[in-house]
Amino acid sequence: MTDTQDRQRSGLGFVGQRVKRVEDERFLRGAGTYVADVQPDGVLHAAFLRSPYPHATINSINVNKASRLDGVAKVFTGAELNDVTNPFLPFFMLEGLYTPLYKCMSDDKVRHVGDVVALVVAESRYIAEDALELIDVDYTELPSIASIDDALTPGRVQLWDKANGNVLGDIDASYGNVDEIFAKADHVITRTLDCPRQTNQPMETRGTVVEVDPQTGHLDIHNTSQAPHMLKWATAALLVNEGGFKNLGKFVKNAERRSAFLGAAKSFVTTNKEKLKASDPAGQKSQFEKDKSMVKHQMRMASGLLAADDYPTVKAVDIGGAFGSKGPVTREDIAVAAAAKQLGRSVQWIEDRVENLQDGGQAREERFDVSIAVDADGTLRGMKVDAYLDQGAYPAFPISSAIIPQLWKLYMPGPYNFEAFELNTKVLATNKGRVVPYRGPWANETFMRERMLDIVAGELGMSPADLRAKNVMREGSMPDAFITGPSIDETMSVAKTLDRALEMIDFDQLEEDKAAAEARGHKLGLGIASYHEAAPGPPNFFSSAQPGSDMFLYEDGRAEVEADGSIKMYTSQSPHGQSHQTTYMQVAADELGVPMEDVEIVWGNTDRTQFSFLGTGGSRGGPLGAGVMRMTAREVRNQVVEVAADMLEAASGDIEIVDGNIHVAGVPAKGITYADVAAKVATDKRISSGAVFSEEMKYEGVGNGGWSVATHVAWVDIDLETGMVEIPRYLVVEDCGPIINPGVVDGQVRGGVAQGIGAVFYEKHHYDDNANLLSATYMDYLIPTAMEIPEIDIEHMETLTSGENDARGTGEGGMIGAPAALTNAVSDALGVEVHEQYLPPYRLLELAGVITPD
Amino acid sequence: MKNPPFTYHRPTTVDEALALLAEFGDDGKVLAGGQSLLPVMALRLGSPEHIIDIGSIDELATITVGDGVTIGAMVRHAEAEKSADIASQAPLIAAAMPYVGHRAIRSRGTVVGSIAHADGAAEMPAVCLATGATMSIASADGTREVAAADFFQGFFTTALEANELLTAVHFPAWSPTAGGSVVEIARRHGDYAMCGLACSIDVPNGTITEAALSFFSVAGQPIRVAEAEQALIGKPATESSFADAATVVAEHLDPTGDIHATANYRRQLATVLTRRGLAEAASRIGVPA
Repeated sequence: MTDTQDRQRSGLGFVGQRVKRVEDERFLRGAGTYVADVQPDGVLHAAFLRSPYPHATINSINVNKASRLDGVAKVFTGAELNDVTNPFLPFFMLEGLYTPLYKCMSDDKVRHVGDVVALVVAESRYIAEDALELIDVDYTELPSIASIDDALTPGRVQLWDKANGNVLGDIDASYGNVDEIFAKADHVITRTLDCPRQTNQPMETRGTVVEVDPQTGHLDIHNTSQAPHMLKWATAALLVNEGGFKNLGKFVKNAERRSAFLGAAKSFVTTNKEKLKASDPAGQKSQFEKDKSMVKHQMRMASGLLAADDYPTVKAVDIGGAFGSKGPVTREDIAVAAAAKQLGRSVQWIEDRVENLQDGGQAREERFDVSIAVDADGTLRGMKVDAYLDQGAYPAFPISSAIIPQLWKLYMPGPYNFEAFELNTKVLATNKGRVVPYRGPWANETFMRERMLDIVAGELGMSPADLRAKNVMREGSMPDAFITGPSIDETMSVAKTLDRALEMIDFDQLEEDKAAAEARGHKLGLGIASYHEAAPGPPNFFSSAQPGSDMFLYEDGRAEVEADGSIKMYTSQSPHGQSHQTTYMQVAADELGVPMEDVEIVWGNTDRTQFSFLGTGGSRGGPLGAGVMRMTAREVRNQVVEVAADMLEAASGDIEIVDGNIHVAGVPAKGITYADVAAKVATDKRISSGAVFSEEMKYEGVGNGGWSVATHVAWVDIDLETGMVEIPRYLVVEDCGPIINPGVVDGQVRGGVAQGIGAVFYEKHHYDDNANLLSATYMDYLIPTAMEIPEIDIEHMETLTSGENDARGTGEGGMIGAPAALTNAVSDALGVEVHEQYLPPYRLLELAGVITPD
Repeated sequence: MKNPPFTYHRPTTVDEALALLAEFGDDGKVLAGGQSLLPVMALRLGSPEHIIDIGSIDELATITVGDGVTIGAMVRHAEAEKSADIASQAPLIAAAMPYVGHRAIRSRGTVVGSIAHADGAAEMPAVCLATGATMSIASADGTREVAAADFFQGFFTTALEANELLTAVHFPAWSPTAGGSVVEIARRHGDYAMCGLACSIDVPNGTITEAALSFFSVAGQPIRVAEAEQALIGKPATESSFADAATVVAEHLDPTGDIHATANYRRQLATVLTRRGLAEAASRIGVPA
């Protein structure tokens, strides 16, 4: 018997324990089911021809030679696939934003190195790549937009004809009386801070295996998607190839489909009445001013979807990481599905690392011109920011990077008592890879703000710790809401983490260590960063960003006991490293009173799970995903207890369930099992399989908080001869509420910090002045390894709310806090202001004045 | 990232291999450990029509002691790392080994393969240049020997002709009064260095009589800085002599810049490594630095 079972018998349960991950055995033994493990009979292999140029027009393309190569099933030009697919439409519209429409392939123009131009389908990936070399494309190179400065320069070449230059978005937000606050404050401190481009880089690249049923033509899409339902419906919509009234006629004649649709639509409108009313049409208006074609495409897709006989099934079993990059539906997903459908054959595409570095997902290239108004005593008054976001070439679908300024505007003032705040963001098109969400997509605001706080402290002659302690929101005087809108409750306890972190720093020792480092020709510094994150945030979080944008944010789940007594928990989450399976088993087993291994978690198959717009993302898997597991399991337990009470001739209130034994309290020897109870119900209902108990729920969380908070402290030691860095200590004091599995939380925190260490000291996605990709392999895009990551001390605070199920997400925080804490430590060590996030050894020596830039 | 098609040959004698090279010339490529060639092919940066795998040629997998040590073309890094003969006869190779890629790479990759590949950022070519190694080159027409100084000719370029095989590299006898070291600074453990140095000094009786400073990852090929070596001759093996040499290195070395290291940074590293490397070399022979 395991320790955890002992604990459960003692009534303490699995939740809160460092239970070993059930996923690990299959992963470590190579027995996982990743997308490349799916090999349908006769599957063909796809490879994309990708642009070698950052920006060029395509004059002609000749695939004759490639098509004749032995083993090639078909070479699709971009135009051929575009003819049978619909464009990616803007889904996320904002006032002042234009989102270009684009198709799954490029047939007239390429906009970045790696842009997709043709698709070869062959008997092997080897042959497919051989064929790529035989395709002849005639390009005319265009000048390229390689940087934020390029994109802001008027009169340069445009990526998108309908845009005004390369500024696609100009988005404003303002809170409080900014002008007055800035006029009255004692000081206004202004700086420009820069963040470099990074790429998410999961271990497993993207991939899709589109399995075509030879009889029915049904598509089973095995994919690395974080959001399988989104992929299902996007694929269905983008593959619609009949338009207009013909489709509507088909729909009108299909009574079953018609009533199902009208029912669903009515229920949606009823449920979301207020939200729909609150939606602001200004975003659509901005989009229409540039491009009205969206309506035509929407109509075609909608009527096609309504008339369709069948929709694809998406299956995502084991996924080797994503960090946000596998949420968007990508051009390759649609192109491969279109190719398989055209051929009537199963086709697989497994992205290789070169492709992944070119366009698998990039992030974080942003610049901030920031001013902070502050009084002489260190009281923070106001913040004004002009932000620039380099979106790359093709906006991510369905949510483009324009969501980032929407998050910035809520987060930027942080957990401090600013009275006024103003943000203008320009979203810029450049000839670079696609920007996607990356673990804490808004994280650079924390870098910017926390770096600025140190700069402000320096200007005022205060210590960074004192400045933070003076201004952080404190319990007792905490407002009900941020000036930017979202509600606040006791979960927004940043001050507690800051106070605890400051207690855990031995400042006297620090001075001694600094002196010792100096004696060795090194410099040692300490940096602090505090932040809060919506994990998942209060109910009004997303509506504070954009009214009505919170329509799809509930989490669906279902608990079932089948006729044989087996327990199945269905989640719409798409796990890819977060240990959903283990933690959901812990939660459900506790509710149901059974051993963990009696609970089966079902995920990733759109035929078996309920619709979810987001899948896994946004730090929702713990609070909402596990929450709906808990609530549905509890309800099913109640159903089981009712029947068991009857069978045991007892009152339901006297029934206990321990280790799967359902019994009257005090007489465990006379217990029955879930199988016994299920068999009884099955017999009564005259069924032999399927669910005998079932509970389905939409869950939206609890309370007005849902905040995870933390303070990071980094100690950084720099060798002044070489610029090489060591991190002698790294401390995270975090509060994500009650912890379901401390091992999982620690892993999330450490993994996030590791990526933050990467961001500052190792990882930069380099493009040259012409937008050619320089860090095109792992020789040049450097991800820190275990050798570069120090021990990371973690202190958990676990603030509990008055409600229940108030576990909060923790997947993103490590990455949010680390770049700020590390750069602050570097600044402290070198005694210079640091204005950039990426600090390779040569740059550290430049900042230290040891060498000059070339 | 799948290699293009090729015809695979697996000769079991050097003569067979040379005959294949004579037949295919520029269309053929020798495969030893494959740690550079296979990635190049997977990225389709190279597409040789004929691969001549010398992995079954037992006569090439030997380490021979005699007036130094001779390392055959199929001696893998991992074997060189473990070899007591190499540790005593060619200590710079032993010193370089921990820096050569990662353990898995050293299990497959070969010492001579790295030399033939001639990456200017790699350790082995710099060690050859520092020690005055001699390359044994064979072709169907006969054999020839080429000094390391003449062998490395630039970015991935050597004196090897397309029909030739680098069968072995001979490292001359190591003076008992000489100390050497390999030092480098890489961004992460196992990465190619941003700058590295293979160096040695011979200090028979208090003063330096011979010095070698061979830098890697500063240019397309390893570079010796003769002026700095000259500055060491006749000097005591002291910190101040090494610092003087480092100053000369900074004056004469003209490194390239890239995304990982600027030229100025490489120059800085070269001076630091000169001091550190020479101090470590001196400590190996018990000379107080």
